[in-house]
Amino acid sequence: MLIKHYLALFFLLFLSTSIFAQKKFTLSGTIRDAGTGETLIGATIRITGASTAATLTNNYGYFALTQAEGTYTVAVSYMGYASVVKTINLTKDTKLNEELKSAIDLAEVTVNANNRKNENVKSAQMGLERIDMKSLNSIPVLLGEKDILKTIQLLPGVKSGGEGNTGFYVRGGAADQNLIILDEAVVYNSSHLLGFFSTFNADAIKDVSLYKGGMPAQYGGRLSSVLDVKMDDGNNKEFKFQGGIGLIASRIKAEGPIVKDRGSFMVSFRRTYIDLFLRSSPDSTVNGSTLNFYDINAKANYKINDKNTIYISGYFGKDNIGVKDLFENNWGNVTTTIRLNHIFSDRLFSNTSLIYNNYNYTVRLLNDATNFKATSLVRDFNFKEDFQYFSNKHTLRFGINATQHRISPIDIDSDEASQVNSLTQERRYGIESAAYISDEWTVNEHLNFLYGVRLAAFSLMGPGNFSTYDADGNTLSTENVAKGKFHKNYFNLEPRFSVSYLFNEENSIKASYNRNTQNVHILTNATSSSPTDQYVLSSTNIKPEIADQVALGYFKNIQDNNYEFSGEIYYKWLQNQIDYKNAAELLANSNVESELLYGVGRAYGLELFFKKKFGKLNGWVGYTLSRTERKFTELNDGKYFPARQDRTHDISLVGIYNMTKRWTFSSSFIYSTGNAVTYPAGKYSIGGQMAYYYTQRNAGRMPYNMRWDVSATLEGKPGKKYQSSWNFGIYNLLARKNPYSIEFITDPNDPTKTAAQQTSLFGLIPSITWNFKF
Amino acid sequence: MKKLIIYFSLFTLCLSSCKKIISIDTENAAPQIVIEGKINDQLIDQQIKISKTIGYTEANVFPKISGATVTVTDSKGNNYVFKEGTTPGTYINRMRGVPGVTYNLSVTAEGQTYTASSKMPNVVKMDSIGVIKNFFFGRERKTAAVFLKDPANETNFYHFNLYVNDILSERFYVNNDRLTNGNDLRIQLFFKPPTNDHDSDELNSNDKIKIEMECIDSNIFDYWYALSQQSNRGPNQGTTPANPTSNISNQALGYFSANTYQVLSATVK
Repeated sequence: MLIKHYLALFFLLFLSTSIFAQKKFTLSGTIRDAGTGETLIGATIRITGASTAATLTNNYGYFALTQAEGTYTVAVSYMGYASVVKTINLTKDTKLNEELKSAIDLAEVTVNANNRKNENVKSAQMGLERIDMKSLNSIPVLLGEKDILKTIQLLPGVKSGGEGNTGFYVRGGAADQNLIILDEAVVYNSSHLLGFFSTFNADAIKDVSLYKGGMPAQYGGRLSSVLDVKMDDGNNKEFKFQGGIGLIASRIKAEGPIVKDRGSFMVSFRRTYIDLFLRSSPDSTVNGSTLNFYDINAKANYKINDKNTIYISGYFGKDNIGVKDLFENNWGNVTTTIRLNHIFSDRLFSNTSLIYNNYNYTVRLLNDATNFKATSLVRDFNFKEDFQYFSNKHTLRFGINATQHRISPIDIDSDEASQVNSLTQERRYGIESAAYISDEWTVNEHLNFLYGVRLAAFSLMGPGNFSTYDADGNTLSTENVAKGKFHKNYFNLEPRFSVSYLFNEENSIKASYNRNTQNVHILTNATSSSPTDQYVLSSTNIKPEIADQVALGYFKNIQDNNYEFSGEIYYKWLQNQIDYKNAAELLANSNVESELLYGVGRAYGLELFFKKKFGKLNGWVGYTLSRTERKFTELNDGKYFPARQDRTHDISLVGIYNMTKRWTFSSSFIYSTGNAVTYPAGKYSIGGQMAYYYTQRNAGRMPYNMRWDVSATLEGKPGKKYQSSWNFGIYNLLARKNPYSIEFITDPNDPTKTAAQQTSLFGLIPSITWNFKF
Repeated sequence: MKKLIIYFSLFTLCLSSCKKIISIDTENAAPQIVIEGKINDQLIDQQIKISKTIGYTEANVFPKISGATVTVTDSKGNNYVFKEGTTPGTYINRMRGVPGVTYNLSVTAEGQTYTASSKMPNVVKMDSIGVIKNFFFGRERKTAAVFLKDPANETNFYHFNLYVNDILSERFYVNNDRLTNGNDLRIQLFFKPPTNDHDSDELNSNDKIKIEMECIDSNIFDYWYALSQQSNRGPNQGTTPANPTSNISNQALGYFSANTYQVLSATVK
């Protein structure tokens, strides 16, 4: 019933403005980069004349604007590109395909402050951060490996998973509550080398958007954030190569037209080579060890005709760690996306996607007594159908989505001599399906709405034996479910609502409410991401996680968009959160759901963001004041306690200084309160050893984190076809010993007492990278 | 396993990792009662020890609780009264526990009564102990190991104590047969000396090793397993530390275990 009312209201709102429509025509087209033919996502098309309207290009560079008959001035602009201004007589439906010249191609650094003017203020969307791939290149990072996941951690509301770690927490959510998608395919494990590097090779990435709140209805499946990463389409004008050689990894990318102006491809490869150094060791165990990862990104697109474009993209990555005669461990993601853009009419744009993705790992112990191989797999097939309808004051999005999950928790394969038994843990099958509709409604110059609803359904399917458990973890009942039969179904209605009110062109307030649900959960009692993290689906025991978030923000642009300021406050309620019982055994445990505890959470905070967008010196300051708590009946006497990632203050400062055409200097500085941890309040002797007595959970604090990184980029002499640049970086310039972990030892100065010993990971680390392009 | 991977990666990645002593801000909790009771299958003075916790910052002297009433009854109707011996806070009774029998502990101390029960599991024979050589980054490392045959027809839980030259290793060694049921087991026990010197954790020729093996019940396994997961690795590593779930009532810390006992010694070659 609720759904019916909601939809009725929805259509009423939508139709209310269309009823009075007069004779109108549609201006539509695709906006591209003049140099590479890459479609530009989020370019602004603004028309002025009898009336004024503006829109942004969608994920495929397409836009449509409907206006009354008349003569208009059309301005197309995009950050870092020269704007195009044209006069158009709108007397029939008109095509406008424009190619914008990049500021780099213009051979002068004229960055026009009018590009995407006031978009941050106007749009009803809040909680959205878009990463500028150009500034990403100059932000200093560990070992010179530019990384989108580390860059987003410099934004307010996003907290790092730990020193040098690509894991992140958004507005109090857990690390597994981020929806990370690469060309629409879910990337389950986005880290290489236990989190020190991300799976995203920045060379192959075109656009990165992070939604911290106000998630539009087309996204679903995770509670806290959406990180939407899109790969480069490839240059459809000429063949280009680029690459880089760094301290730990090298990259190469090739791109070019398949058919000029109609289709292009892009292939990118990255590999680390730490183990090549190991190999040069004279010692046989050392040179037989492996430690590497590689990534391959590939994409091709072909414009069949004006109405149809097909895209095929894929990612393949693998990590290998091994010590000769001891163990081997490898893990990786595979994603494949096939998409068809179809333009039904100038106003109706559709995209059909078929997606396959998996994450798998293998652990092999080579010890003669414990010889075994363990494998695990999470595999999804996903079908998506998305529509966008552009009307005068509305942009309507609607679609459906169905994903089949298959999880093989663990298969252990061992021979007779091994002391570990072979084991096949039951596969789990689930179907996640969703239907959504949303409308972006420009009511008038002052008021914008973005509202919608997503109906999310989840079904846990047979075959399998499904058990329920009592509080002590004893099995209460076990149901055998046949193949293809439904065991448990959940339906969740997820309303999404955002509104912006503009006081004037440069000032606005926005508010949003959204509900998100999640049916795929990671079980891990380790604090850092691990390749052997275990995935489970919602079941009779594990209820879908639910988050409700409200946010309120003030947005302001100063000095003709040169400066941008925003302040947002949010409050988030979390339900059906997961924690673990004492002595929980999570790995290879078919009764793993008996080891879990369920509780609630709350998170609230203030985020301030001040950015200088243009000029020789640009950059930003971000500050977050926040609190993140969880509550479980069985833990901490049933009282709220801070989550581990609860960090009261979080400050980041990023500066990029374009000193000359060839030299660019950049700096980033971070400070954050230490993690909330549980310190012992007492100690006692047990089994002849010291044990610690704990009172309140996570009531202690690790020491604070502070780090200053700098880098300098020297561009080669301009004007040649062949370009190269050097990047020099210093990570942790102050060589501050940031806390990674703390252990308790006998006090070296007084053996009768206990001391806390902190371990730090990285001191000052210099790096050098050489990049080329031709 | 996971630990091994992490150590390996850190070893390779940490170009300049370092350690330092810091001061932490924590409360000193009020003293809590700690009961450690064991009944094994040998005819010895079985011991129930009662003590108290001290604050985190205090010197490591744990107050003993004298004058408690300690009795153990078993499922066969026997009643054993434990008397405080020459060591204050240690209550003893010379008796032998029997596998398959459930023992019930009752302690009354400082006006509170605490109870617990534990069933002694069957004996699994400790076949032998030995030393295994592993090669880790080109360095030979010797490790103590226990050899035994796990019975296939029951669920087994094991707890070990390792002594090197009569010094107790500061690790909690605990195993179950969840993934190894019915097999010949070779369980490696990595030595951790009580000193902070990490070089002294290697076994050398002529070191005397002694390993005690206990077959324990599932509650006691959970107890030791929780401790082994936390050990002294402290926060931000592994599981969030918490007090292990005790099988003793009334919120006492510690455990009451009826377990079998075997011991073997050897000399490192």
